[in-house]
Amino acid sequence: MSQKRTLTKYQEYSEGIINTVREPLITLDQDLRVVTVSRSFYEVFKVKPEETVGQLIYDLGNKQWDIPRLRELLEDILPKKATFDNYEVEHDFATIGRRIMLLNARQIQGVLGKERIILLAIEDITERREIENGLEKTRKELAVIKQSADEASEFAESVINTVREPLITLDQDLRVITVSRSFYEVFKVKPEETVGQLIYDLGNKQWDIPRLRELLEDILPKKATFDDYEVEHDFATIGRRIMLLNARQIQGVLGKERVILLAIEDITGRKEIEAGLEKTRKELEVIKKTADEASEFAESVINTVREPLITLDQDLRVITVSRSFYEVFKVKPEETVGQLIYDLGNKQWDIPRLRELLEDILPKKATFDDYEVEHDFATIGRRIMLLNARQIQGVLGKERVILLAIEDITERKEIEAGLGKAHEELTELAAELKRAARVKSEFLANMSHELRTPLNSINGFSEVLYDETFGPLNVKQKQYVNNVLTSGKHLLLLINQILDMAKVEAGKMKLALSSLPTKSLLNELTMLVADMVTKKKIEMLIEIAEDLPDIEADELKVKEIMYNLLSNAVKFTPEGGKIGMRANKAGSEIEIVVWDTGVGIAAENMGKIFEGFFRVDTPYSRVTEGTGLGLPLSKKLVELHGGKLTVESEGLNKGTLVRFTLPVVSRMGV
Amino acid sequence: MTKRAVVVDDNANNLMLEKDLLEVAGFEVFVAENASDAITIARKEKPDIIVMDVRLPDMRGTEAARILRQDKETSGIPIVFVTASVMGEGREEIINITNSGFIGKPINTRTFAKEISQFIK
Repeated sequence: MSQKRTLTKYQEYSEGIINTVREPLITLDQDLRVVTVSRSFYEVFKVKPEETVGQLIYDLGNKQWDIPRLRELLEDILPKKATFDNYEVEHDFATIGRRIMLLNARQIQGVLGKERIILLAIEDITERREIENGLEKTRKELAVIKQSADEASEFAESVINTVREPLITLDQDLRVITVSRSFYEVFKVKPEETVGQLIYDLGNKQWDIPRLRELLEDILPKKATFDDYEVEHDFATIGRRIMLLNARQIQGVLGKERVILLAIEDITGRKEIEAGLEKTRKELEVIKKTADEASEFAESVINTVREPLITLDQDLRVITVSRSFYEVFKVKPEETVGQLIYDLGNKQWDIPRLRELLEDILPKKATFDDYEVEHDFATIGRRIMLLNARQIQGVLGKERVILLAIEDITERKEIEAGLGKAHEELTELAAELKRAARVKSEFLANMSHELRTPLNSINGFSEVLYDETFGPLNVKQKQYVNNVLTSGKHLLLLINQILDMAKVEAGKMKLALSSLPTKSLLNELTMLVADMVTKKKIEMLIEIAEDLPDIEADELKVKEIMYNLLSNAVKFTPEGGKIGMRANKAGSEIEIVVWDTGVGIAAENMGKIFEGFFRVDTPYSRVTEGTGLGLPLSKKLVELHGGKLTVESEGLNKGTLVRFTLPVVSRMGV
Repeated sequence: MTKRAVVVDDNANNLMLEKDLLEVAGFEVFVAENASDAITIARKEKPDIIVMDVRLPDMRGTEAARILRQDKETSGIPIVFVTASVMGEGREEIINITNSGFIGKPINTRTFAKEISQFIK
């Protein structure tokens, strides 16, 4: 991605150059529509940006640009040559009159987001031409002067006066003899201040120029003639000027022994144009350099890309190959470039799908993406590749180039296949787990059913016997049948609690929520253990806060929790001890504490009390009295309501405190 | 008038327990150990109530109920299912049967006959 950014910067840079160049510049796409135009183009050719970009070049400025020579150049010459220099075009524009232009064009690949663009530099040389023509004329005229000087000095004088170029004749004391009209015009001096004056004194001594002195006093006496002596001078009246001086010493004309003819060419404007041209040339060079750099950059991109890349000519012979291509496909450069792609690596690349792609598909489509090819290479084994190709016109000195990017997706495919397999296995596993859960659920239901069926007889018949429905029992019989009934009921409790535990753990326990009048419910529940408390002479303390709110919970489950905890407290507290229950509001919950002064829990047993079937050995409890599931089940039921249950004990015989919370508003959403 | 009940249970002990409890409460009781016999007896005796187990050897009690409901002679007889299946399985099918009730095992012998009587109109 950073490479792409760099390329964009190049493009911006190029565009920047185009805009600063004085020379009008225009970029066209391959349909000859304007992509960008330099500022100077608008200024020189008086066209507006909104009428320009996207337009066919011939349509610009109200079809003023529909110039036969330009058509010839863009349509006939450029496609063949890709570049041309100094193509001269003369055209009469409706807005700016007759112009002579020098056109320079370059065809550039793949910049400014276009496949092919034409960079057209337009140099308006109309004025330069005029100057050049003028110079040529002057030179010719000078030649005429020279020729005729001996014979016809009058004629010479008239010539001097008609010449556009400022001309001045001096006598040997460097005083002005005659001056051409153009001299007055150009240098803003008056005839009456000129003739007879020392040249240095002209125009208020403006002409006292060291270089001129050197020329007239040192050089000319020795050489009699000199050409194109360049003098730069800052004139008070007309500013800094660059002049080209040409001088001749002529014997015996105009009635003088020796006359100096001095032609002064003001080349300031030309110099400026030349300087501008030079600058433009330099800038064009920079553009060219940038273009070259972009091309180099493109090549370096090819070489740095991880993806193997290969460029083929239209005969499918290898032009260039990226480093990674050599590395991935274990071929050597010397065996690669110039070879037919199918012959690479000992004909390993003769792949039917690749032939199909390069010979059938690409010629029709010019581009294709993500064409998957699987092939068994002799050197590197079976590979799955993703091919992307582009057909590109006129790069790397070839008419048509195929750029082929080869992505080796073998490993990715393997990973995908592995993922697919893993997914299948997971699906199977999930189904298996689901089946196992169903089997477990069915097993529990069956177990429940099978255990209850005989218990129905055991409990039923012993109850009927105990009730003496069919006749009286003696004391021993009655006691025995009571023992059977008690054991039967204990077994039923055990079955129910085991099944409840299994249900909670399987997430199958459903709560039947309703609004519970907490204060009356708790009072009522303490009555359930009242008999046991009285029997053991235990003191029971009930503290229910006045502001205890009603809660949303499953009534049967709350009763079960409270009964389990209260009966535990009674069971594990010796005669004469104390048990108690406190209920308070605690934020959005109620907190209930059930405590006793009984046997407590040794620190080492704290972790075991929730495991199930663990009962503290105590002289006050009998095995038949509990299932060992009351506390673990109560904890699960509290948690099912969204509360927490914790047990605290300072140690053996230090009593136990069970604290649990229940939310006022159920978070179960059932 | 003496209330008449058909009691169906494949467990002989439980069948005896239910029969005795109902007879003590003054019912005339007809017993069956499978659904087919129960249907035959019900059609013949047209009892005031049918007390039926759900898991029976020949068909489910709910299927027997569907057959009894389709027969004009027996369609109006209330059916009380007495079952050890208390974990929610098959509860839907029982609820969907009109004029029916549910008692879980183990039963409370002290209230059983009274509960059954409440289903008779």
